[in-house]
Amino acid sequence: MVLTEVSKPAAVAVQRLDRSITEVLDDQLRSFIKIRINGEWHDFQVERDIQPSDSLAYLLREKLGLTGLKVACDEGACGACSVIMDGKLVLSCMTLAVEANGYEVLTIEGLEKDDPVVEAFAEQSEPGYGTALQCGHCTPGFVMAAKALLNVNPRPTLDEVREALSGNICRCGCYAAIAQAVLHASNKIAERASKR
Amino acid sequence: MSKQFKPRVARKYVGTYRPRIDAQEKASGRALYADDIASKTRFPNMLYAKILRSQHAHARIKHLDITIAQNLPGVRAVLTYRDPEIASLKPTTAGWTDGVDTVSYDRMMWKPFRDRRILSDYVCWVGDEAGVVVAAESERIADQALRSIDIEWEVLPFVLDPIEAMKPGAPVVHPEIAPDNVLPPDPVGGPDAFVKTPSFLDADIEKSFAHADVVAEATSTYHNANHCSLDNWCCVAEWKDDKLTIWSNSYEADQTRMFVSQTLGIPLNSVRIIVTYVGGSFGRGAIGDRSFFILTAILAKRTGRPVKFRHTRRESFCNTRQPVIYSGKIGATKDGKITSLYFKGIGNVGAYGDQPMFALKFAPTEAAAAAFAHIPNLKMEAYGVYTNKIPAGIMRGVGNSELNLILGHIVDVLAEKLEMDPIELVLKNIGYESETLPDKSLEAVLREGSKRIGWKNRHRPGQGPTYDSTKKRGIGFSFHPGWHTEWQETRRGQIQVGIKVNPDCTVTLYAPTIETGTGSNVCNVLGCAEALSFLGIGPGDIHWVATVDTETGLKDTVQTDSAVSFLQSEVMALAAKEIKTKILESAAPKFKVAPEELDIVDGRIYIKVSPDKGMPVKEFLWEGDLVPIIATASKRPSTENTGVPFMATFAEVEVDTATGQVQVLKIVIVSDLGTVMYASGAEAQQVGGQCIGIGESLTEEIVYDEATGVPLNFNWIDYKIPTMVDVPEVEPVLMEVWRGAGEYGACGMGEAVVTCTPRAIANAVYNAIGVRIDDIPIKPEKVLAALCKT
Repeated sequence: MVLTEVSKPAAVAVQRLDRSITEVLDDQLRSFIKIRINGEWHDFQVERDIQPSDSLAYLLREKLGLTGLKVACDEGACGACSVIMDGKLVLSCMTLAVEANGYEVLTIEGLEKDDPVVEAFAEQSEPGYGTALQCGHCTPGFVMAAKALLNVNPRPTLDEVREALSGNICRCGCYAAIAQAVLHASNKIAERASKR
Repeated sequence: MSKQFKPRVARKYVGTYRPRIDAQEKASGRALYADDIASKTRFPNMLYAKILRSQHAHARIKHLDITIAQNLPGVRAVLTYRDPEIASLKPTTAGWTDGVDTVSYDRMMWKPFRDRRILSDYVCWVGDEAGVVVAAESERIADQALRSIDIEWEVLPFVLDPIEAMKPGAPVVHPEIAPDNVLPPDPVGGPDAFVKTPSFLDADIEKSFAHADVVAEATSTYHNANHCSLDNWCCVAEWKDDKLTIWSNSYEADQTRMFVSQTLGIPLNSVRIIVTYVGGSFGRGAIGDRSFFILTAILAKRTGRPVKFRHTRRESFCNTRQPVIYSGKIGATKDGKITSLYFKGIGNVGAYGDQPMFALKFAPTEAAAAAFAHIPNLKMEAYGVYTNKIPAGIMRGVGNSELNLILGHIVDVLAEKLEMDPIELVLKNIGYESETLPDKSLEAVLREGSKRIGWKNRHRPGQGPTYDSTKKRGIGFSFHPGWHTEWQETRRGQIQVGIKVNPDCTVTLYAPTIETGTGSNVCNVLGCAEALSFLGIGPGDIHWVATVDTETGLKDTVQTDSAVSFLQSEVMALAAKEIKTKILESAAPKFKVAPEELDIVDGRIYIKVSPDKGMPVKEFLWEGDLVPIIATASKRPSTENTGVPFMATFAEVEVDTATGQVQVLKIVIVSDLGTVMYASGAEAQQVGGQCIGIGESLTEEIVYDEATGVPLNFNWIDYKIPTMVDVPEVEPVLMEVWRGAGEYGACGMGEAVVTCTPRAIANAVYNAIGVRIDDIPIKPEKVLAALCKT
């Protein structure tokens, strides 16, 4: 990911107004980063709140208690730590926290209560496939990967689902049911859209 | 796709297709695992522990200087093998038990192999825990502290191959236990050789082969796969005065409490083990490094702060399936009656004898009665050999997959020699000891599986058509006796459950077992709903207590053998009867009759002789003292020998003869379960098990640098786990032919769905290309090498 200069969002600017001039100067002297996480902007001071070498996964889990994402391999092999950054799926264990500066990060905690993908994963139980989760440790990663896919391809084929989710490992092996759940989620999204 | 399973006995809840009870919690990311609980946001004062790992395959610490580490800012404790609280710890093994039962130090299963010291100066494999553990303010500082330790090693010669290790003069791994590296016989594993020769009294299996018309021989080598549970081994320990609490993701709670209590010499009621959800087990933890519980507790005591110990992914490769080199010989009459069978297994135990004899001896001996009882001459030999590799033992089954690799192989080789269909050969010879042949369960699974894979269209080995100019297809199968039936689980002792009916007629179910993903929690709720159906309630009215806590709960039924799927439900039937009795007793004064004159059906309590006189139970309870009605029940599993069911796997593969690549096209997996407790969960096991099954068959293997003994792929980039694009269509077939004891007569299945996959695939590869590959994983280079030989 390339670090990009991002203009200060209005919400941050407003937040700054009640700060003293010393604090603002302090901001400029030290390195601050701002990340919008699940809809809310957070400021972090580098080398105080986070280290430059901290991963985004570490920041989300250990500093903010967003433990839905899991760190299983810690080297980008399993997808359990997947989150969505500005609409794109990223591995939070392979992304530095400072790289998320100015971006919008969506974790599983930021999904709506009736999220169609979560619902479809939870409901999956029809004959022939098993359930879409067993131990559940990989599930948040799969759910986020499925969301990222459906965002760009709302009506994927089975093969497209399999390809898009092949970066995630489910050791319980619920792959067939996960694929079905994604197809069901796709239907749910279409149905909800047609009712609106 | 597969047809919906139809239960033998129609029940309201047991055997149904439905979502998991924890599905919403897990799918939304709200389910908490040990690593989530052990976070700074919950334990702000928490320290992090890290242990030194050996870089040598075999060595001893000569000199150790921890001064720099001790003085590093942020380091709070450095503990070494020289500290009195470590040096005084008794020698141990990782596997006091296979987890089925709870045992004390004196009654541990593998007393002869107490080969592990907790934090020793002696290391036996690259990755072994070595002499020093630290606690620091962050994992980074802890790592830095370990790197700053000045350590001088006496590097010793090492051996990696079990055949080499058996030779005179080979480096010896544990001289005091096995001077020739061969583990001595022990009471649990039994003698090295199991012999049954009724027809030839000289007990010489070799002589019996002389009476056979046809003799076939084969070898099979099973490698060292890793469990690869996503949820890395983790715990956090905290002391309050002399009381210790450990949050962990072990698959057992009561036995962990016993282990900690006995090792540290503190009373059982001063140790509290809490386990929430666990991200996959597959046998991880029955073997391997358990000492981190003890070390974390000691560090927490020393520092007076909570301490977390989380294994990295690399460190989670601390144990493996028991690798075995099997050789076999089989003799039969011309018409296909097997007269003699001989297997010899040499197991690479690795550095520590955690559970090897279970895999090498117990499993084959059990199969003697379960499958080979009708074969007159039988000999099975097994040796476990120490080497300087990763310790081996249990993984999704105990030795069954390994035995199956040679069993399915030798049967296929013999059938070809006899020019007989291997399925007919199996049905003519294999079955449970009290069954007349053909064994009904075995026949049912093999007939169903062969129908679904299209067995009758099978071509001769290597004789099928060629696809895309280089690809050949083939089909194969393997079968295995099931196990984990109720009578095979008696070692567990009493199974405990508790049912609390609340005044609003909802239920809190105490059926403690650690939820590792198996779905036994759903089985428990369905079993409870079935048993309490007289209350007119369903699964949605029952809350299963997911957290296992040794302080507040009953004993956990350990999540092994996948037998929890039915064992606790069997006991719930008893508890439900007691609930009914208690409600009737409390209702008797209101109805002014004796309790026996009342009944409860579909949620209504009434007088039997005048059914119109009654009221809803819910209403009755709500009018009362609002004290919940509680029943706990304990029951030892039934000892009634009901035999065992059979399981089978059929596979279709495509082999690219130009690249050696094997692609699995289809898997049919047929499981006779006696009673299906939870259909969606059972199918999830069948379909899901193929991630491990196909992985072990084709890609998964720990690779070593033979020159140094350094493992090269303790990560998921180089250790290849199948993903969604690697696992083909899997057709799950559930059957109910055999029947066990009790209300349901079910059996465990989670292991059996993996057991037959490698051999089914290996036989399919042979059927495709006409060349046999004797060792798994079947990697492209092995296929090409085998093809070049022809």
